[in-house]
Amino acid sequence: MRTSPVGRLRLRIPIGALLFAALAACLPRVTAAQEPPEIVCIQCHSRQAGKIGEPVGLWRQSVHAENGIACNGCHGGDPKGADAESAMSPARGFLGAPKETDIPAFCGKCHVGVLKDYLASAHGQALGSGGPTCVTCHGNHKVLRASLDLINEKDCSRCHGFDRARIIRDAMVKTESRIVALDKRIQTYKDQGADVDRIEKGLFAIRNRFHTLFHDQDVDKVWEESVRIDAELGKLDGALKAMDETQHRRKTAGAVAIAGALLAAALLYLIRKSYD
Amino acid sequence: MSMLDRVIDWLDVRIGVRELAKEWGSGYLLPRNINFWYSMGSILLFIFLLQVVTGILLLIHYVPDSEKAFASVAVIMNDVPYGWLIRMIHAVGSNMMVAIALLHMFSVLFMGSYKAPREINWLSGFLLLNLILALCLTGYLLPWSQLSFWATTVATNSAGAIPYVGPTLVEFLRGGKLVGPPTLGRFFALHVALLPALVVVLVGIHFFFLERIGISTPPFGHQGKKTPWRGDAFRYDAHPGGIPFIPNYLLQDLTSIAIYLAVFLSVVFFDPYLFFPKEAFVPANPYLTPAHIKPEWYFLPNYQMLKIFSNEFVGIAAQGIAMTLLALLPFLDRGKERHPLKRPLFLACSIGGILLWLGLMIWGHFS
Repeated sequence: MRTSPVGRLRLRIPIGALLFAALAACLPRVTAAQEPPEIVCIQCHSRQAGKIGEPVGLWRQSVHAENGIACNGCHGGDPKGADAESAMSPARGFLGAPKETDIPAFCGKCHVGVLKDYLASAHGQALGSGGPTCVTCHGNHKVLRASLDLINEKDCSRCHGFDRARIIRDAMVKTESRIVALDKRIQTYKDQGADVDRIEKGLFAIRNRFHTLFHDQDVDKVWEESVRIDAELGKLDGALKAMDETQHRRKTAGAVAIAGALLAAALLYLIRKSYD
Repeated sequence: MSMLDRVIDWLDVRIGVRELAKEWGSGYLLPRNINFWYSMGSILLFIFLLQVVTGILLLIHYVPDSEKAFASVAVIMNDVPYGWLIRMIHAVGSNMMVAIALLHMFSVLFMGSYKAPREINWLSGFLLLNLILALCLTGYLLPWSQLSFWATTVATNSAGAIPYVGPTLVEFLRGGKLVGPPTLGRFFALHVALLPALVVVLVGIHFFFLERIGISTPPFGHQGKKTPWRGDAFRYDAHPGGIPFIPNYLLQDLTSIAIYLAVFLSVVFFDPYLFFPKEAFVPANPYLTPAHIKPEWYFLPNYQMLKIFSNEFVGIAAQGIAMTLLALLPFLDRGKERHPLKRPLFLACSIGGILLWLGLMIWGHFS
């Protein structure tokens, strides 16, 4: 049975359209993953305006949010409470907002070492008599990662001159930059599944030790300790350089393997041509 | 007489190896105008063998337990000698396998090699493509990372859109209400035992039909005298005066495999993290959903298609219909002409379809 050209075209149009649709899709179906429900504190406060709702947005941008520390981490209470009353029940450990003089102890529940350094510093000595608390420099809800950027003319000169603070800051800049650079390299390796646990913990300990200097106003001590910390950072840098070297060796071996594969392809092609 | 000759003689008098070598090698003739696209199947077979070998090596150290899986993969990557290489070959290889399988399918499509009498070849190939995707999906969960956990959560959700049986099917796939240790057990069994066995069986079936019917002649260049198949009786598609498989086309296969290896090794050694977002190296956390979790590149068109359709069932039904039509293509397209340039409507629809598929993939990536 022969089909006319028009009949063939009529048959091909739906076939073509079907093929077009078929190629536009493949197997399994995927939908957006479900977000886990937020804690009750966020659910309530995010819906409120003004001073009582503002902390939610600020907290979301904080280092605490980044590390999974929620409201109850500082303020206590029950984040799984059925209602506001049970969530903010003192019986369930709710503390509320601390008074100004209680702020260092409030933060010091977790940051024990920092509290000790702060209380020993000129800033801590002035607590209750106009001296700064933790939130003066770090912010209260949008808590920023501790860095030298917090020691700046704009913030320091709210209370005193920047001259002494500048000397301390300059003494620490090189070490801080090195810590940041090492952290970045460690993160890159971590994102590639490399085992940098030991190096990461090492840097964490050094960084914490270094950051205790942020609360110190003794210029000589800051300078000497920065030199010692710099030497320890050198060891971590050496460990990362060894990893860089390994990566480099792997790439060299890879380049040789690729060149070998291309050479084999060329040879096989020429042999094949000889048979044509 | 060398030892090898003696062994061959010994085997020849018992099972006729010389006759087999002639029948399957130098005596197996292929069309003179055969092109390199015909070697895609050999590349696929090579990748599958590499996946099997690296998969077995990974099994030595991998622990299929939700508490230990992630750590065992970390040990493979960091402590096992060349473990990083074995894992990367396996992971990158799975992506390459999908890419080459698609190229193989497109070449068959454009050269009209799916047409009668090769409908069963196409069907078995289509099933193999689906098995490869299933292997990728099940293997994805095994490292028990944030990426694998949530991608599997997202993928298994899809079955829920099927009316009546959807929720039951999701629970069956996961071994519970949510993705968890039972899911890992199931997927592991599927990935290392059932699916590879099915692939081996289907590859055997695919080759059987290939060998039984004969290689199709490319629709390009000089095709010699061909008697068209009428469909009245079985006939082997012989190629008298053609080129022998061994050594001629075997050398072409090996050349293609070597070129593939060069490309593949370039990814393995110089951009191995192309297919690994950083969530792939974070242990699974059922309580923390990573932002913007996306499926693998080959599932992105489906992902985007479902976002386009407002109704979940319509989205999944559209994909099901499309896949069914693709499977039944040789039974729908019954024209004799195989040259793509002599089939302008087919060519326009095919290229349009591929561009649409690529467009959905890119859209899905950036959406």
